[in-house]
Amino acid sequence: MIPPKEHASSQSECFHCLESIPLGFIQTVEYNNQPQPVCCIGCQAVAESIISSGMTDYYKFRTAAAGKVQQLIPEQLLMFKSYDDDDIQEDFIHHSGELSEVLLSIEGISCAACAWLIEKQLLSLGDITRVDVNTSTHRAMILWDKSNLKLSEIIEASARIGYKAYPFQPDIEEAQKQQVAKSYIRRLGVAGIMTMQVMMFAFALYFDMFSDMEDDFEQYFRWISFVLASPVILYSALPFLTSAIRALKVKQLNMDLPVSLAIFGAYIASTWATVFNTGEVYFESICMFSFLLLLGKYLEFRARLKASEFTSNLQKLLPLTARIIKNFKEQIIAAKKLKLNDIILVKPGEIIPADGLVIDGKTTIDESMMTGEHEAVSKEVNAQVYAGTTNHDGLVKICVNQLGTHTLINQIVTLQNKALTSRPKLAEITDKVAQWFVAVLLIVAGLTATYWYSTDPEQAFWITISVLVATCPCALSLAIPTALTCSVANLTKKGLLIKKAHVLETLTKIDSFSFDKTGTLTEGCFTIKNSHFLNEKYDKTTSLALASALEFHSQHPIAKAFNFDTSSVEVFDNITGETGFGIKAIYQGQSIAIGKNGWFETLNLPVQVVLYINEKAIAAFELEDKIRDGASTLITYLKNKPFNTHLLTGDPSVAGHNLAKKLSFDHVKTGCSPAQKQQYVANTINQNHIVAMVGDGVNDSPVFNTAHLSIAMGSGADISKNTADVVLLNSDLSSIKHLIEISHKTRRIVKENLILSITYNSAILPLAAMGMVHPWMAVIGMSASSIIVITNSLRLLKPL
Amino acid sequence: MSIIYVLIPIAIIFVIIAIAIFFWAVKNEQFSDLDKQAHSILFDDSEIKNKSDNSQTKNKDSNHTL
Repeated sequence: MIPPKEHASSQSECFHCLESIPLGFIQTVEYNNQPQPVCCIGCQAVAESIISSGMTDYYKFRTAAAGKVQQLIPEQLLMFKSYDDDDIQEDFIHHSGELSEVLLSIEGISCAACAWLIEKQLLSLGDITRVDVNTSTHRAMILWDKSNLKLSEIIEASARIGYKAYPFQPDIEEAQKQQVAKSYIRRLGVAGIMTMQVMMFAFALYFDMFSDMEDDFEQYFRWISFVLASPVILYSALPFLTSAIRALKVKQLNMDLPVSLAIFGAYIASTWATVFNTGEVYFESICMFSFLLLLGKYLEFRARLKASEFTSNLQKLLPLTARIIKNFKEQIIAAKKLKLNDIILVKPGEIIPADGLVIDGKTTIDESMMTGEHEAVSKEVNAQVYAGTTNHDGLVKICVNQLGTHTLINQIVTLQNKALTSRPKLAEITDKVAQWFVAVLLIVAGLTATYWYSTDPEQAFWITISVLVATCPCALSLAIPTALTCSVANLTKKGLLIKKAHVLETLTKIDSFSFDKTGTLTEGCFTIKNSHFLNEKYDKTTSLALASALEFHSQHPIAKAFNFDTSSVEVFDNITGETGFGIKAIYQGQSIAIGKNGWFETLNLPVQVVLYINEKAIAAFELEDKIRDGASTLITYLKNKPFNTHLLTGDPSVAGHNLAKKLSFDHVKTGCSPAQKQQYVANTINQNHIVAMVGDGVNDSPVFNTAHLSIAMGSGADISKNTADVVLLNSDLSSIKHLIEISHKTRRIVKENLILSITYNSAILPLAAMGMVHPWMAVIGMSASSIIVITNSLRLLKPL
Repeated sequence: MSIIYVLIPIAIIFVIIAIAIFFWAVKNEQFSDLDKQAHSILFDDSEIKNKSDNSQTKNKDSNHTL
């Protein structure tokens, strides 16, 4: 828990988001009658709104810091309004009687206090029947009366306390996963509750061994156990049987086969014993076994479900609305209602809703989500623009020429889906072990049955059953899922999301790593490498302050490099953007401008940005895309392992080769289209390499499905995170090293577990076949071996 | 001792009721977010109710600043 701070030492942290406060910003909010510092106007507005609504409990009980809040701009409020349109709403609003239901995906939920805060805020609007904020999926289900309260007002209310909300439609795949999760919980619940009851009666039966129980009671307890165990076996454990049968149909033996043989074999035998009042019952053992196995499977499934929920919230590639121009008037319509040759208007900062040709105006466009390159591309009349890219500084009219599945972005998505179906798969160790284990088990059981049938037919059935129970692969089947669950939990703590089950196993076989350049090996944003100050009247601090204050008004990605203290700068007048050049304004009666070299005075320096006052250059800046901190250490580590390293970049310039030389990559390929990247990786795979791909952009998502394993940066495009097997949440390249080490450790632990459990099983098998194992011995042996295996797996939870 | 012939079936009926309630709870998404429920006891509801009228007017105020 983060208690609200009252001592002076922490005064430099923002009260709301706990980030450091920029020098010179001195706004505060009143909390418990004391002024508390905040870092920006956004945080101030949010904190004031929370405190004035009496929701100060949030600051008392939150366990994680709130995100930094951006101030709401009128343009955003207009966007919210567009969600009220009926055409747009039909995609994500469901009606139940008088009330409407919507699912919102909410950005910025960090702990349970956030959920409470949002629920309180929304309920205070009135007309809302139910709000259910889920802190693990970051979504809110809202049931409300649409006739009295608009959806835009709900979204605005949540934005006012610092949470951005978007209407959300889960895809079919995820809806199915949610169903599976629920059925797991139900099966687990039944197994848990019933197993307790069965154990209770089993204890009564155990005591029968020490003191003679009346036969009537014994028989009665057996029947009760049978009644209680039946739901566990016939409902909870059914998925093991169906999975085993499904595998048999395609002529494969999987781990579920010995499991279901043991569970259902012992169940039938015990039922037989109960009905005919002979032999032993094993109800409690099989119930316990089913419960433990289900628990392991569920925990592993839940870890992966959480990871995929996290990324599916992110899918907001295209805007829902478009501004269409009809009869010389601007209208906002649902983007899916656009037709070919419609004229649409795109304002600065907006995302383009469809592919088209510019017919009026000029602008620069950020195509980084397609190409991964952050340098904006300038577009004039007759230039092609693509849906999903962001318009920077100009107002343009576009004539739509591609829609829906024909847009470039959807073609990339199709490319990616195609690659998924043909993705190479490596045989999983579980299946291999299961195959020979099942074979040996069946042969031994068969031999035992034949032998005893010929020598002692009366005993044959019971001894065969005891072979099946004694060799019940309890420990063996727990060996792999428990190890995987523990290592996935460990990796999640380190900010590595594992989305697919095969990741840890595939990783140990990888021999080649391919990297994207921009955004993956580099930070994907510009920083100042060198500055030149050309006028003595303006020193370093003043120049940087002026540059930062002016660039604050620019949408250009380069502008983010200028984030210096601007408190000394007064207000600008007449701020105007000049498309293709930069931004200019009037400051203290002088004209001031920042933009590209050669706008006014041309400098003979390798600089990208120049600050001009009265059309004279006073400062010039060289920018570069900085290499990420962990990059060099990681590549050295990979080369020593040794892995083959490849650099695949869409950037056609020499920057790719320079970077490859600096980090000493084995292979480089520059100027790759998404399809060429796929081709390159496919060729490497054809040369019998097992390839992992690390990337971040939309252009990497097709190649993600070609490679054996894909890793996306947390800062990357949403679509790539959604496709990838692993997401590095904190975009820290050095965590790949951790990932590799954990995967090798997991493989070692899995091997140990397999050896332990197979040793137990093969030791008890001959004894059982000779008819020397009592049922209670088998049960103790089974439990002990399972506990040893689980404890061994728990070692994976320790940080390396 | 013959009383257990009656008592145990009654106990089983209670178990069945427990499972029915459990299924109902799963259906109503009560198990989808265990974090939030664990913290919900910390938050004081009554304080909010007193101030909720207050918040309405405040919200309107902040509208102007936007």
